Amino acid sequence: MIVTFIFIILLCPLAAFAFFAISALAGRKSNRQDLISTFAMLIAFSCAFLLFVQVLGNSSIYKHAGASTHTIDWIQIDNVSLPMGFLFDSVTSIMLLVVTIVSSLVHIFSIGYMHGDPRYPRFFAYLSLFSFSMLFLVVADNLLGIYIGWELVGLCSYLLIGFWFEKDSAANACKKAFLTTRVGDVGMFIGMMMLFTKFHTFALFGDSGIFESINNLESSDLTWLSIAGILIFCGAIGKSAQFPLHTWLPDAMEGPTPVSALIHAATMVAAGVYLAARMFPILTDVSSLFIAYVGGITAIFAATIAIVRWDIKRVLAYSTVSQLGYMMLAIGASSYVAGLFHLTTHAFFKALLFLGSGSVIHALHVHHHDDHDDEHSDHPVERDGIPPEQDMRNMGGLRHKMPVTFWTMLIATLSISGVPFLFSGFWSKDEVLGATLERAMESGSTHYYILFFMALTAAGVTALYMFRLIFLTFMGQPQNQEMYAHAHESPKSMIIPLIILAALSFPIVNKWSFDKYVEQPKQTHNHLARKHVDQPVLYVAAGAADHNDSMSHTTHGGHSPAHSIAMGLSIFVAALGILLSALFYHWKTFSAETVANKFRGVHRILWNKYFVDEFYDGIVVRATVIGAKIFGGIDKYLVDGLVNLVAIIVNYIIAFLVGLFDSKIVDFLVNFVAKITWKFGGGVRRAQTGVIQNYLFVILTGVILLIIIFRLLV
Amino acid sequence: MANITLEHYLLISSILFTLGVFAVLTRRNAITILMGIELMLNSCNINFIAFSRFIKPPTTVVAGEVSLAIEGQIMALFVIVLAAAEAAVFLAIILSIYREFNSISPNEVNTLKG
Repeated sequence: MIVTFIFIILLCPLAAFAFFAISALAGRKSNRQDLISTFAMLIAFSCAFLLFVQVLGNSSIYKHAGASTHTIDWIQIDNVSLPMGFLFDSVTSIMLLVVTIVSSLVHIFSIGYMHGDPRYPRFFAYLSLFSFSMLFLVVADNLLGIYIGWELVGLCSYLLIGFWFEKDSAANACKKAFLTTRVGDVGMFIGMMMLFTKFHTFALFGDSGIFESINNLESSDLTWLSIAGILIFCGAIGKSAQFPLHTWLPDAMEGPTPVSALIHAATMVAAGVYLAARMFPILTDVSSLFIAYVGGITAIFAATIAIVRWDIKRVLAYSTVSQLGYMMLAIGASSYVAGLFHLTTHAFFKALLFLGSGSVIHALHVHHHDDHDDEHSDHPVERDGIPPEQDMRNMGGLRHKMPVTFWTMLIATLSISGVPFLFSGFWSKDEVLGATLERAMESGSTHYYILFFMALTAAGVTALYMFRLIFLTFMGQPQNQEMYAHAHESPKSMIIPLIILAALSFPIVNKWSFDKYVEQPKQTHNHLARKHVDQPVLYVAAGAADHNDSMSHTTHGGHSPAHSIAMGLSIFVAALGILLSALFYHWKTFSAETVANKFRGVHRILWNKYFVDEFYDGIVVRATVIGAKIFGGIDKYLVDGLVNLVAIIVNYIIAFLVGLFDSKIVDFLVNFVAKITWKFGGGVRRAQTGVIQNYLFVILTGVILLIIIFRLLV
Repeated sequence: MANITLEHYLLISSILFTLGVFAVLTRRNAITILMGIELMLNSCNINFIAFSRFIKPPTTVVAGEVSLAIEGQIMALFVIVLAAAEAAVFLAIILSIYREFNSISPNEVNTLKG
């Protein structure tokens, strides 16, 4: 039954895409592609919901990672077999539900948002293809299947970021996204191959799967395992836009806003977290710490950049990067449950934020073109390369015009800022912080204390920049009268998804229920380390070997002191962030400009996003270009020169030799044969005297000879 | 006087045939070539008649019936008729050749030359 449902979930969006592809090949426009794709997603959602209910009913079975797999032989080459199949456990069912809910709502939202676009059907076809790829990634039971889905979502991301490819910025952004994530994917592929060469399988679970085989490793393999884990995590760094490969995600905001909500906030970028969670059993202490640092640095790094952005979508993009860093931190702090929990809550409230910003952009965008010739003094102008309808300096006071958008976005903002108890984001963020602090306390490692404070700071900064967004957009006085005058609430098809997502931002899935349905898998490296505990092969902090067991104790047992401390601190920093934000942007007690001028250097660094893009432009891109020029020069002058030289040699020497051979030997032979024939003919023709008597004589001689011969023979 | 045997006839015939061949091969006149051919034909006639006379008895009795052994003689008569016909054709050809080449010497008539 599960397999049938999974098949339906996968095939519905694929069929919707196939419908578009076939009608496109047949040269016809599929006019109702929007309804087909949306309907397909709704069917998939229903099936995912039924599966989720199934899991709720049998939580004791499905809470184990890799609880149920359905595998078929896919490719068989000599003695290497590559099976392919579905994996189903509570994590899969939650991911399926999240992806189908967000995807369905984004489909519905897009019907209003993308209305009138010249490539309207194509947009929905891409969304369907993306949904299929993402769902396939989630249900694949082996690394190869995950990799296939992984690359397919990358392709869809590329197509959708560059959906308005007429704009140079969009075309560049989609190339940047594709190439940057590819850097990580190379690492992931190497990691996969490392595991494959060792274990001869891509399967994760099951008796012959990677996670079982790891138990047979020696402790001397721990370093190898750490490297493999880090390499696979490189894929997640690229896909989940972690530092230092995060630069593509803010640029990806060039795509349509529903795409940003679906792909670049809720699902695809979370695939990296999903991958890290799936590979959880192979993570060693070293690779965990690596992941935690990447996540922690990304969280604080992106959050600080978000403070100074004026583009509403860029704020949300950096916020996404920051929150993904949180999830990674949770995985790195060996808290599988917290990472996945934050992934789930974040998917809803961040999709809501993006769709809300889409609603705002839609409201401000639709009309300002109508009065293009209007000589109004407030005519919106593009500043700092930000389109006017996305520039928060042009907004303000919109809550009167767009109440639904305002209230739903406010709920999401309260959730992401970690406002206590009523909002899902508080619980999941608290879970991440608590897990990090708990890890720090248990291992006694300063690394995790540092990471905890980074995450805590990031939580405060998150509250600051998110309320800044709300204050600038919805509160205060309208900054641009013309745009304000034309702003309007969005159509129903766009508002309804906002309301549904807002409802999902309340703690429907809270920490305790999540704990009940998702169980943290064991990390085998601890057993390996225990095998030869006297050999200090690797950094194994005191008590880390027992960490996993105690960890699962405390998470199931409710609140440890670490969690209480973390909760108190996180409420405090959230309040601080909101207060600061209000002081600066609502009550205007302090002026943001004054502070920016005072700390000009800091502001410059933040405004330029820590110069990472400049670094890449200056080092990576320029090095590539220079390298390309050098190699081009080598190609042009050296290689071409050699080729031409060889060509000359061939022309003048070989051709000469061949010519010589032709004229002297071949011609000689031909002439020789001709001459022989000529000479022979010349000799023989003398016999033809024309005198009959000679002929007769020859005949006579012949007869006499024949007689003699016969006489002799017989 | 010794008995005249078959060998004598054959010897005469051979001499005549050889003379005829010689005439055919060497003469520079088509008419003499014709005469050589006639010699060869007649030497054959001598052979026919000689063999007819010496190898088979003149009369034999086969199954109670008497038959005359004259096949050789009859062959000779055929050859004589053939020679007459041949001479007529040959002379006609010679006439044609003479009209064409103004000569009846075989050396002059050599357009078959390669």
